[in-house]
Amino acid sequence: MAPAFRSVGLRIGSMIVLLLLWWIASRLMHDPDVLPGPFVIGDTIAHDLVTPGPEGESAFFHIGITLARIFVAFTASMLAGIAIGLAMGLSRLLERSLLVVIPLMLTMPTILMVFLAVMWFGFSEAGGLVAVMAVVTPYVAVNILEGTKAMDKSLVEMGETFKADQSLLIRKVYLPQLMPYIFSAFRYAFGVTWKIVALAETFGLKYGIGYMFFFWFGQFNMSQVLAWIVMFVVLMLVLEHGVFARLESRAFAWRTSVAR
Amino acid sequence: MAYVMLKPAAASGAEVHSAIAVKDLTKHFLAPGGAEAFTVLDRVSLQVGEGKFVSIVGPSGCGKSTLLNIIAGIESYDSGLVTVSTREGADARPRIAYVFQSPRLLNWLTVEGNIHFVLEAQGVSRRLWAELVSRHLEMVGLSGQEKNYPLNLSGGMQQRVAIARALAIEPDILLMDEPFSHLDAITARKMRFDLMGILARAKPTILFVTHDLTEAVFLSDRIYMMKTRPARIFKEVSVDFPRPRQPEDSAVLDLEKTLTREFFRGLEAEA
Repeated sequence: MAPAFRSVGLRIGSMIVLLLLWWIASRLMHDPDVLPGPFVIGDTIAHDLVTPGPEGESAFFHIGITLARIFVAFTASMLAGIAIGLAMGLSRLLERSLLVVIPLMLTMPTILMVFLAVMWFGFSEAGGLVAVMAVVTPYVAVNILEGTKAMDKSLVEMGETFKADQSLLIRKVYLPQLMPYIFSAFRYAFGVTWKIVALAETFGLKYGIGYMFFFWFGQFNMSQVLAWIVMFVVLMLVLEHGVFARLESRAFAWRTSVAR
Repeated sequence: MAYVMLKPAAASGAEVHSAIAVKDLTKHFLAPGGAEAFTVLDRVSLQVGEGKFVSIVGPSGCGKSTLLNIIAGIESYDSGLVTVSTREGADARPRIAYVFQSPRLLNWLTVEGNIHFVLEAQGVSRRLWAELVSRHLEMVGLSGQEKNYPLNLSGGMQQRVAIARALAIEPDILLMDEPFSHLDAITARKMRFDLMGILARAKPTILFVTHDLTEAVFLSDRIYMMKTRPARIFKEVSVDFPRPRQPEDSAVLDLEKTLTREFFRGLEAEA
């Protein structure tokens, strides 16, 4: 309990120091058009959350849109990646043929993939989705493939002697052993997904946090630009540390119950 | 060549009351190049009567596990005939359960979940699961551990779960591959006693592989001795002591002594 307490304290402490430095810098700068202080940004965020903005919608609406985009793209690319990785692990033929293509996709710079997707699909929801999937899916698949290599074959043999079919084996024998690999892919996939979604919104998708950011960028309104950046970063931190960490500890309950 | 599963009607003609019949079973392992490397099983023949406890005793690496895997239907062989038939009255294909050297439990599932896994694999109706789980956990002395995770249990308890898992499918045939060899001597001894008690209640046919003659004499109705290179059965002994037995009974100890002598003489004899 005590170390956990200390780490929370440490996190809050460094956050406060950061805000303090920001506040001091803004006071020294003395130009709210270049670096508004944290209080100004706080006021702006509070204002944006309750008042309809330039698109006639409050910040909550845009946050919701961005979250929905992230959720759909993330889920789709994770599921596709897990399915492809598992299939590669189970079939030598598939593994050998896909291992030619995947490194090509992994070396492709993310930003080029976004441009490519936009050129093919235009500034549409599909364009964003394709960009995310093209970047994230191969990465997840490779991770899962690696996981299948590390699986305990004797458990598969056990399942086979008891006549377990492929679907039962996948659910109860393969996937649980892949969980550590799925979660490590999860973190990366999530990080990349929200960055690409933000990029796609900035470039041309209608609505969303990135869209609003770009709108205020066009107006050269520094406090609004910073307000949207802060909203975005806070949201992603909450998701990563609040939601995923909790999911992960639940998925590995069988392991931690030993350490009691 | 043929892996035959006989239904009772068909079985009654040929091998009456024998649950497992292996005839001239031969298997070679291939070297990586494709050339024949060595003979794992050389014309092995054995019979296990229904409801009997039969042991195969032999040194490590003599192909005992391969033999069990072939009988379980998960490994191929080159020639011979393996017949596995159901308990009388059953009309389905024979149910075969396996207890391995290590427990091979799914550590992310609870004790109960591990048993559910094999029940689902065997297509046992869900309505029966709860009763099968509690009856067989009780049998191995693990009542109340349903919701516990395997990693919280000792090695001996994990192996008990593996035994409960095997018995839960109410097998016609139970294959056991040195199931107590990873346990300490005291736990293993207790487990052997308990196994005897359990089998008095659930009565599957058992083929038990071990390298421990003491264990074989205490547990079995019949013992096959096997040697390696070439791997073949060189002696067959039936053990007729009444049950329950005591490992320290002088008759048991005498037989053990005689068999030990014969076993090592046989191992050392030229092929």
